[in-house]
Amino acid sequence: MKKIHIIAILIIAIAFGVVMTSLSNNSTYASFNEAAAHPDKVYHVVGKLDKNKPFLYDAHLNANLFTFYLIDNKGVERKVMLQKPKPDDFEHSEQIVVIGNANGTDEFKAKDLLMKCPSKYNDGKPTENKQTGSL
Amino acid sequence: MNSIIYTGEHLIWGQLGNAFVFLSFAAALLASFAYFRSAQNDELENAPWKKLGRIAFSIHSLAVIGIMTTMFCMIFKHAYEYYYVWEHSSNSMPKRYTLACFWEGQEGSFLLWTFWQVLLGNILMRSAKQFEAPAMSILSLVQAFLASMLLGYYILGIRIGSNPFIMLRETPEFSGIPLFQMPNYLSKIDGRGLNPLLQNYWMTIHPPTLFLGFASTVVPFVYAIAGLWKKKYGDWQLAALPWSFFGIMILGTGILMGGAWAYESLSFGGFWAWDPVENASLIPWLTFVGAGHILIIYKARKQGILSTFLFPIITFILVLYSTFLTRSGILGNTSVHAFTDNGMKIQLLVYLIFFIVLSLVLVIVHYSNLPKSGKEEELWSREFWMFLGALVLVMSCMQIVVITSVPVSNAVFGLNQAPPVDRIGFYNRWQIPFAIIVTFLVAIGLYFKFKTTNLKDFVKQLTLPFLLSVLITTVSCIMLKLTNGFYIALLFTSWFAVTANFFYWTLAKKANLAKGGATFAHLGFGLIIMGALISTSKKQVISVNTSGKNVETLGKDISNATDILLEQGDTLRMGDYFVTYTGKHKEGHNILFSVLFLNKDSATKKYTPAFTLNPIIQLNPQMGNVAEPSTRHFFTKDIYTHIMFADLNISADGSGSEFGTPKPHTLGIGDTMFSSNSIIILKALDSHIDKIKYHLKADDIAVGAVLDIVDVNDKKYTTEPIYVISNDMIKPQDATVSELGLKFSFQKINPDTHKMDFTISESKRSNKDFIVLEAVVFPYINVLWFGCLVMVIGTILAIRQRIKKAKEAKNLPPTAQTDADKKPE
Repeated sequence: MKKIHIIAILIIAIAFGVVMTSLSNNSTYASFNEAAAHPDKVYHVVGKLDKNKPFLYDAHLNANLFTFYLIDNKGVERKVMLQKPKPDDFEHSEQIVVIGNANGTDEFKAKDLLMKCPSKYNDGKPTENKQTGSL
Repeated sequence: MNSIIYTGEHLIWGQLGNAFVFLSFAAALLASFAYFRSAQNDELENAPWKKLGRIAFSIHSLAVIGIMTTMFCMIFKHAYEYYYVWEHSSNSMPKRYTLACFWEGQEGSFLLWTFWQVLLGNILMRSAKQFEAPAMSILSLVQAFLASMLLGYYILGIRIGSNPFIMLRETPEFSGIPLFQMPNYLSKIDGRGLNPLLQNYWMTIHPPTLFLGFASTVVPFVYAIAGLWKKKYGDWQLAALPWSFFGIMILGTGILMGGAWAYESLSFGGFWAWDPVENASLIPWLTFVGAGHILIIYKARKQGILSTFLFPIITFILVLYSTFLTRSGILGNTSVHAFTDNGMKIQLLVYLIFFIVLSLVLVIVHYSNLPKSGKEEELWSREFWMFLGALVLVMSCMQIVVITSVPVSNAVFGLNQAPPVDRIGFYNRWQIPFAIIVTFLVAIGLYFKFKTTNLKDFVKQLTLPFLLSVLITTVSCIMLKLTNGFYIALLFTSWFAVTANFFYWTLAKKANLAKGGATFAHLGFGLIIMGALISTSKKQVISVNTSGKNVETLGKDISNATDILLEQGDTLRMGDYFVTYTGKHKEGHNILFSVLFLNKDSATKKYTPAFTLNPIIQLNPQMGNVAEPSTRHFFTKDIYTHIMFADLNISADGSGSEFGTPKPHTLGIGDTMFSSNSIIILKALDSHIDKIKYHLKADDIAVGAVLDIVDVNDKKYTTEPIYVISNDMIKPQDATVSELGLKFSFQKINPDTHKMDFTISESKRSNKDFIVLEAVVFPYINVLWFGCLVMVIGTILAIRQRIKKAKEAKNLPPTAQTDADKKPE
């Protein structure tokens, strides 16, 4: 089965190449400071919403711009400009991942955003069912 | 606490359920052991062990059905004293979702999987003949692992399994809740209910299909293991063949149903998003298709015996790996659809590693005994190209595995890799070359003959379909304005796959439907790839800003804007249509938005309604509000709409005052306040007010507050509300910034604290309700769905033909067959 052996070696070589290159194309998780060091690279930054700072969205002014302040896991805070409408239930998010790159030293331009809500798949405790309560 | 005697609880359900859970586990272990003994001692003296194995497996089967029946009864009777029932159902939930509740949770979906394997196991038990004992021993072991997922026992402090019969008041996280101090708590509670997102008919049909697909990978696997174990290396492949294609068809259907569900009612923005959970179901399918074809090669040529073991084993291992990925919580942030960890990570890992080690050991031990076929495959033989195709599928699978496993490799090697940024584009780029090779092989595959092919005939037969595909591809590329080289190549190979298989069916198979199974399956595959290619590469976002308004003021970063603001009553152009947002209404937990699509007659300049779409925002207390798309299907395209943002506080009829309720703020000089769209700084106080300009009397006291405003687009404004005391009356003069819809009122000066009171009122924007909408045209997506149908029908026909042929072969004198089987020795 010589032919098959040659093909097998070839395929292993290609597969190795595929894996290595597709891994090197990947973005990495980083802090805001690391992202600011390479403003041309796209990073995933994990952090928490600063609920004391404003988050601004006005569909009439710009339907695809939502700004807020995010504190990354190292405690650094940046203004994030998300180029999307404001996600639903944003206020309740527990953890946020913004995907994008640094824009100058104090802004982060996010193409996308992932939220983790504390309620997801696990919400609340059993409570008394109040007949009179409103919806 | 234990002294409370609760009323209304049905403890019997739990007792019954737990008994069944234990029984199913114990009986599976016993069946595995008895069949093991039976397989070890060959022939006659094994009869009692085999009998015990059968009995034990039957008991296991009944116990599994018992667990399911008990759970159904509990859900149906709303027995909220049980956590699983409370968590997944509620009084208000329609009865038709009872099934969906059943498998919404981890426990229920494991049970569904177990059930399908029970069903398949019972068929296998009666049909496996000489392989019954070894195959059933392994299958029972798999069942024991699955059954252990429901045990919920603590062994050495580690919880084994997650029990669906645990009581609500005994759930650790709810201990000490005052509610459970009431003996009659049960009469006061309602279930949390099925996640509204899953209250969908797809939830009723997609999981059972997918899990039947997963379950069916076990049969070729246990056959392969049994073949190694009993050293009957070449005897099982024929029996495993129809099972494999059955599984390929079911799993394929299940995956595509998931895609259809995502497209129809989840906001993925397409039918395939390369989400890790979707990938996890696709991975084993790719190697399963490889396995099916490897078995065909072996059946025809008795070649590549090692692969006949490796492919089914890898497929089954990948199912276990997928299970680990989606259920252990390891995917974490990378998928919104994976289950969260419920403490079974270790157990799932043990399950996976056990079968990897078992298979690996058996393959290594028996490797040198495998019959070697002396001859090499001819270059121009069907088996050679089929084998090559299978290897390409493995490579395609590997790329998906590696990238989907990024969270795993991060955990193992302590890395910091993130998933690809543009996930869909990334996977598409990597997978398109594989798809080109596979569709090309699908086109030419059947024209090869086993052993060797007359090249002249081969070229002659393929010339017409080849030229035809070149022609159609050229025409369709011009029509679709396709310019990317890879896309053009893939469009060509998929057209080639369609035409070549169609010609093969009409010429070689004389258009005989029953014999057309393989050609139809291949033709369908070509159509699926073609539909996927055209609808994704030529998808057109039509909700781009065409109004001309706002654009200039928006400043930076509007280039990639794909969503449009539609005010109620406004009509904007979108693609070939004009679109109006006409209003919204509530139905159940959904808010339906009416988006009217109009045609404009170019001659009369009159609008005529074409159709209305109703994208939905679902008020979902469990996950937050969720947008559900609405799609209009045409023969050649789909128009898909999706609400990106809507202000649910605005009433649809537009009633209410021009400005909303004023919000109070107290600040000193230099302090900041903010509205929903801007940041406002109190710059300074200004006592030099032009009294004439503001129509004030000379003795009025007037102080202005200079406010600097920065809006969301970084545009700056300044305004000055004035605080006026006139005849001892406070008469503030408000300031309005109309671009921002903000009204400022300077209400009070506190001389002691040096703070000022303001109110901000936000305008309701001329009372108009509005939505931010995404609208996309998916061209020719029906080609994809039609292809699915053709592929499924083709596979069914092929399986029927295989079973028929196998029966015919059995009627031949037995010597003829066994001789052929033993030839390589």
